[in-house]
Amino acid sequence: MALGDYIKGAIDIGKAMGVTLKHLAEKPVTTEYPRDSVPMYPRFRGKHELRRYANGMERCIGCMLCEAACPTGAIYVEADENDPLNPTSPGERYAKVYEVNLLRCVFCGDCEEACPVEAIVLGHDFAMANYERKDFVLTKEQLLNPGEPNVIIRPE
Amino acid sequence: MADNVTLTIDGKQVSAAPGMLLVDAAEIANIEIPVFCSHPKLDPVGCCRMCMVEIEGPRGSRLMTACTTPVAEGMVVHTNTPQVAEVQEANLGFILLNHPLDCPICDKGGECPLQDQTMRFGPGISQLVEPKRLKQKNYDISDMIVLDQERCVLCWRCIRYLEEWEDKPQLGLHNRGNETVIDIQDGQPVDAKTSGNIIDICPVGALTNQISRFAYRPWEVERTASVCNHCSVGCNIRVDTRTHTVRRIIGRENMQVNDQWICDKGRFAHAWVNGENRLETPLLRKNGELVPVQWSEALDFIAEKLQAVKQQHGASAIGAIGSAKIGNESNYALQRLFRSVIGTNNIDHRDGADVAGLATGLPSLAGVMKPQYGPNPQVDTIFLFGIDPSEELPILDLHLKRAVKKGGAKLIIAHPRKIELTRYNGPYLAYEPGTEATLLNGLLRAAAGQKEGLNSTAVSHLADVKKWTEEADDRALADLCRTDPAAVKAAAAMLAKSEKALIIYGPQAARGSDGPAIRDGLANLAFLTGHQDRLAFVGLEANSQGARDMGVLPDRLPGHASIGSSDAVKRLEHLWECKLPTAAGQSYKQMLDGGVKALYVMGADPASERPEWAEKLDGLDLLVVQELYLTETAKRADVVLPALGWSETDATFTNLERRVQRAPKAVALPQSRAAADWAILSHLAQKLGAKWHFADAKALEAEIGKAAPIYRGLTWEALGDQGLQWDASALKSKPELKEVRQKMAKGSKEYPLTLVTGTVLFDGGTLFGATEKLDGVTVGPVVGLSPADATKLGLTEGAAVAVSSPEGSLSLTVHISEQVQPGSAWIPESLPGAPVGALLNGSVVQRVKVEKAA
Repeated sequence: MALGDYIKGAIDIGKAMGVTLKHLAEKPVTTEYPRDSVPMYPRFRGKHELRRYANGMERCIGCMLCEAACPTGAIYVEADENDPLNPTSPGERYAKVYEVNLLRCVFCGDCEEACPVEAIVLGHDFAMANYERKDFVLTKEQLLNPGEPNVIIRPE
Repeated sequence: MADNVTLTIDGKQVSAAPGMLLVDAAEIANIEIPVFCSHPKLDPVGCCRMCMVEIEGPRGSRLMTACTTPVAEGMVVHTNTPQVAEVQEANLGFILLNHPLDCPICDKGGECPLQDQTMRFGPGISQLVEPKRLKQKNYDISDMIVLDQERCVLCWRCIRYLEEWEDKPQLGLHNRGNETVIDIQDGQPVDAKTSGNIIDICPVGALTNQISRFAYRPWEVERTASVCNHCSVGCNIRVDTRTHTVRRIIGRENMQVNDQWICDKGRFAHAWVNGENRLETPLLRKNGELVPVQWSEALDFIAEKLQAVKQQHGASAIGAIGSAKIGNESNYALQRLFRSVIGTNNIDHRDGADVAGLATGLPSLAGVMKPQYGPNPQVDTIFLFGIDPSEELPILDLHLKRAVKKGGAKLIIAHPRKIELTRYNGPYLAYEPGTEATLLNGLLRAAAGQKEGLNSTAVSHLADVKKWTEEADDRALADLCRTDPAAVKAAAAMLAKSEKALIIYGPQAARGSDGPAIRDGLANLAFLTGHQDRLAFVGLEANSQGARDMGVLPDRLPGHASIGSSDAVKRLEHLWECKLPTAAGQSYKQMLDGGVKALYVMGADPASERPEWAEKLDGLDLLVVQELYLTETAKRADVVLPALGWSETDATFTNLERRVQRAPKAVALPQSRAAADWAILSHLAQKLGAKWHFADAKALEAEIGKAAPIYRGLTWEALGDQGLQWDASALKSKPELKEVRQKMAKGSKEYPLTLVTGTVLFDGGTLFGATEKLDGVTVGPVVGLSPADATKLGLTEGAAVAVSSPEGSLSLTVHISEQVQPGSAWIPESLPGAPVGALLNGSVVQRVKVEKAA
C-alpha cells in the first residue's frame, strides 16, 4: 500500500471527525420524551375531550349528531332528560352515556364539525396506548376529565 | 260513480276522481306540494298556507291552496313557478319566525317535515332581529305526551284528529294573533285512548312522546314492520329498536285494519319487552327452591315426570294451557305435542272453551271502516252486546265513532255499564249480569212483533218463537234485567229495519254455563232479523282468534274441526303419524279446578286470577310454566322455562277479523338463554320420543297450512306486511232457531249489589304494568259505584271500602261513576293487587256488598 493512501485516509477521518465535532456543539433536535413535552401544531387532532361551560355545566346535550357524523361508528351516545332542578346541561336533554371507541376512531374530526354546541373536541393528547381492549373505550367520565385539558377551538 | 276528471299539473295529464283535492291529485302524479296542515286522513282547513299553487283561470293565473281546492275538468295547475317558490319561501320565513330551532334536542329532528321543507323551499336566512316569542316548553298535556308551544306551527292537526276521529275536543287554540297557542281545555289532561296518534301526525316537534323521550334518533333505530300484541284488533305498527331494546312504537298504515292509528297502550306500553326481571335461564325446583339449571336437565326432568304421570294416572290426567297472547306457531306446537305425543285433549286457554265463541270473528274491519270513506256503507247498524270497545279494543272504538259520525251508522248497546259509546244516542240496554239470555229473549220477542224486515225462512217459526219468549215480557225485562222495555223495542225495530247490521259480542257476555244460551240467543236474534252472516264473537287478546284456529280448545282440532270429525282426524293422524285421543278434554276452568295431576302452562297466569286456583296449583304432581316473568303461577312451578316473547321471535297473530299478520323478531337478547315457545316444545317432543324437525317458525306455518285447511297458503312470505284474511265461507253453518232458557240467580238481601267485571285498557297486568312512566294512568284497585248507590251507602269518592261476596273479600277504594248502573258494583279485572277472581271464585255472576273499611 502506498503512503499516499494512508494520508488520504487520515484526511477523510479528519473530515468526518470535523462533522462530528461540529454537531457536538449544536443544540439537539430530538426531545427527551416523556420527560419533555412535544410542541403540537395547534390544529393537531388527538384524544377526544368533552368540554364544560364556565359554570361547570356540561356542554353536551346528547343530540347524537356526532354519532351520526362518525364515519367509523366509534361514538355511542344515550340521551336522557335533565332533572329540571339539577340539570347536567342547559336545556332539556343531556348525554347519559357517551363513549368513544379509540380503536375505531380515525381522528377525522367530523364529530367536532357536527357538534352544535362545541362539546366534543379532539385534544392534543396523542399517548393512547393501553393494555386492555376495553380500556380503549373512553367513558363520559374520562372524556370530561382529561389528564391535561389543552383544548383550542378550531376556527372552522 | 261519476267519471274521472282530467287536469294538468305541471304539464302532466292527471286523471282524478271528482271531488278529490288538488294536493291528493298531485300525489298521484308524483308531484310534490309541501304541506303542514293538510293530512290525507283529516278534513282540510287550509291554515298553514304552505301548499299554494298557481291555477290558471279566465282572469289570469292566481294562487290558491291546493289542500282545499277540489279538482275540476281541464284545470291547469303550476307548482313550480317563480311566484309559487317566492310564496313558499316567504311563508316558511314566517313559520320559522318564532320557531326555536332547537333541532339538536328535539325528538322530531331527522324526520321533521319542517326541517325537510325548510331545506328544500326555505329562505336560508332569518329576517328577525328582535328576540323570539317565548312560550311554554316541555309542558305535559298528559302523562304520555309533551307539548312544546314554541315549536308549534299551528297546523291544527292534533285538534282536528281529536275532534274528527276521537270526537273528544280536548285540545284547542287559545289567545289571538302572535300569542296563539295550542293548549288543553280547562287544565284537563288529554285522556283520549288513542291520543298518541297526534304525535305521529304533528309535522313539527311540538308534540313528542313522553315514554320514549330522548330515547331514539330516527336515523339510529332499526325499523321492523310488526303488529301490536295488546288486543285483538291487531294494529299494524313499526317497532324501532336500538342496542337490543325497543325504543318506540309508532303506527303503520294498513287500510284494512287500523288505518294508520294505534292506541296509547300499544304505543306506550312496551317496557315489558326489555323488562329487568325477565327469566333468562331454566329453573328447576330442588329442595323446595327454584334453582337455575341447564336446558337439557330441565327438559329431561319434564319428559320423565310427564311419562310417569301418564303411566300412573293415564294421559287424561295431563293438561296444557296455551295463551291467546302468543303467536299461532307456538299454540299449534303446544296442542300438537299434547294431542299427538301425550295423547290428551286437555288443552285450553283463558277465555277458550269457557266462553261460548263463534269460529269466524268479524266479517271484516274494513266493513266498519268503509262508511267514513264512501257513500255505500257495508253496515248501517252496529249492535254491541257485552263489549266495551273504548276500554277493550280502542281502535275498533275509533272506527265505530267514525262510522257513526261520518257514515251515519246507528249504534245499539247492551252492556251492564253505560259505556262511553252510549253517548251516540242509540238505544242503550242496561242489564244485570246473569240475565243476558232473558234480555235476548225479550229482544227476540220484540223482533218477532215487527211487521217487516224479518228473515223469510225464520218467519215460518214465528209461532214457536213467540211461545218460547212469552216469559220475557216487559215486566221481566224491567224487573229481572233492569232494562228499559222501550229501549228493547226500539233496538228490535232498528235491527229489523236495518239492511245490514253487525252484531258483536265479547267474552264478558258469554262466559260460564250460560254462555251457550247467550250465544244461541244472539244467533236467534241475528237470524230472525236477517243478519245471521254478520254475527261476530271477538276475543280480546292479540291472538284470541288464532288460539281458537290452532285448536287450543278441548273439543276442537286445528281449523275448528270437531274432535269427532273423521276427515280432520284422518288428516291429522296422517300428518302427525299418531293416533288421536277421541274423548273431549277438560276446559281451562276444569283443569284448574283440579281435573288434572300434571299441568303445562304456556304464557298464562291463573294463580293471580283466583286465590283458590293458586292453592290447587301447589298440589299438582307436576307444574311446568313457560313464561317471560316469574309470575305467581311460575313461583309455584316445578319447572320454569324462560320463553322469548313478542318481537323477540318470529310469530304470526290472527286478529279479530281472521287476518293473519306477521310479528317478526325485532330485538335479540344476547345474554338470555330463553328460547321461543315452539322451540322449547319441539325439543320436549324430541325428549318424549317424537320426531319433530322444526328449524324455524316458517316450518311450523307450513305445517299449520296442512293441518288446518283454512290456513292453507298463509305462509310467512305470502302474508307480506299487510297480512291476509282466511276465508270463513267454509265454516258457515246453516242458521236455525233454538229455544233459549236461563236459570236466574236469586238475589239476597245480604249482598245487595251485582258484581260487574270486565277489562280496562290501562290495567295492572304484566304487559302494561312494566312501563313505570304510565303508573299515573293505571286504574288502581277501585270499585265503581253509581252515584245513587254511593249516596245510599254514605260513601264518597276515594273512600276505603271492603267489598265482599260469599266467596271472599277485597279492600278497594270507591270510584263514583255515572257509567255504573244502580244496583251494581264495577270491579275491573287485573287491577294491581286486587284480583276480582277472589270475589267470583269460579262463578260468573256474583252478588257483593260494599262496606266502609274498618
